[in-house]
Amino acid sequence: MSAQRRARCVLIALAGLALCACGGASLTRVVTPDSQLPPSVELQDVPFHPQTEYQCGPAALATALSASGIDVAPQDLVGRVFVPQLAGSLQAEMIAATRAYDRLAYQVAPDLTSLLATLAEGRPVLVLQNLGVDAVPFWHYAVAVGYDVHRDRILLRSGQHQRLALSTRRFEGSWRRAQHWGFVVVKPQDLPASARAAAVLQAAAGLESAQRMDAALAAYGAAAKRWPGEPLARLGLGNVHYRQGRLAEAQAAFRALLALEPGHVVARNNLAQVLLEQGRPAEALREVQAARAALRASPGDRGGGVNDPRVAEALAATESAIRAALSERGARP
Amino acid sequence: MRIFQRMCVLLVSFSIVSVGAPVVSYAGIIDTATAIDAAQGSATSQATGQRAVDLATVRAGLERQDVRERMIALGVDRGLVDSRLAALTDTELHSLAGRMEQLPAGGDLLAVIGIVFIVLLVLELVGVIDIFKKT
Repeated sequence: MSAQRRARCVLIALAGLALCACGGASLTRVVTPDSQLPPSVELQDVPFHPQTEYQCGPAALATALSASGIDVAPQDLVGRVFVPQLAGSLQAEMIAATRAYDRLAYQVAPDLTSLLATLAEGRPVLVLQNLGVDAVPFWHYAVAVGYDVHRDRILLRSGQHQRLALSTRRFEGSWRRAQHWGFVVVKPQDLPASARAAAVLQAAAGLESAQRMDAALAAYGAAAKRWPGEPLARLGLGNVHYRQGRLAEAQAAFRALLALEPGHVVARNNLAQVLLEQGRPAEALREVQAARAALRASPGDRGGGVNDPRVAEALAATESAIRAALSERGARP
Repeated sequence: MRIFQRMCVLLVSFSIVSVGAPVVSYAGIIDTATAIDAAQGSATSQATGQRAVDLATVRAGLERQDVRERMIALGVDRGLVDSRLAALTDTELHSLAGRMEQLPAGGDLLAVIGIVFIVLLVLELVGVIDIFKKT
């Protein structure tokens, strides 16, 4: 326990509840007439899966998945997210298990305003709480399903409580001690209105890495529609088309990206690879040369990670494959 | 000497790749996760070129192996561990490797015992924490 924390405890013990009542988070500070948030929200339709033993992870995840239309019980998720000796579930695995159901795990921005805005959209948020203190943490997953400004309460499906109304101050404290971590389970084509591009693309790339290609494609497609100027959404579209063997669609996606950002080295490389596989090595070589020119013209700028050794290496590998194809073609009678 | 080092790195990387969970990599295109990673400039290695790529491959392989062994040691079913790992990204594996026990693992409060219980009860009564209101 830190000295600061100890000092705070002593203070509180001396001053009693009067002091506790001062300060801390309050919904009236967040839900103002300017915020356009309704005074109260309760997502009554969110199903409830009570937890058993230490298994708030599977229970909370089952609740969040069910709300997005997946029929799953906590027992089905124990084998995916529960770590017996830790008597709990890790955050990364909660996200990973969501991918396995072809759902996008969108991490909400770490503040109360974003949490309430997400709830106001009708989307429950799976949150991590630290119900203990920093020195003696007690980690707990719950699903936020609403709030009530008049009573200053956050409403949760939590443990064995179908409707836990926690004071905002207490909830915010426990959530803050878990770094305000929380995510929404959404269908990949159905992005939250309040979503940020970077977080959506991160989550979509997670689906791609986990080989959930159809879900990744839907998420990139929705992102490209929402943020037409976002290069990574188009890169993702092209990459998934390529992995699924649709070279023409992949080519179109990479070209659309390059129309937005001609110096995007990663897109040039990937386009060169597609052209090579389409039997067009001469055009592929021109793309590689354009990528090299972009590298020289803008060392250290954006351009899609020009300083990364993996990018440079992949470009070199693509070029040698193209040159091999060209010399083979040249050697043919 | 340099060639010898490179051979060792390659040998180890191939053996890890073949022993551990499948590390999916495609020749040719640069995947989106790498592009996001690269755009954020998170390449921390000082090494360059082929050597850096080899080292990154080895690191990812070792981390995957480390997480796999820790999970089994922590009681995760051997038959399920590979499919669980397959759903994790390299970045997530990196965050888990070597420190799984220190990370938050949302569970329950039944383990509260003895002196810890009393300390927590006091903290609860003065309103600092609120673990007894729910589970």
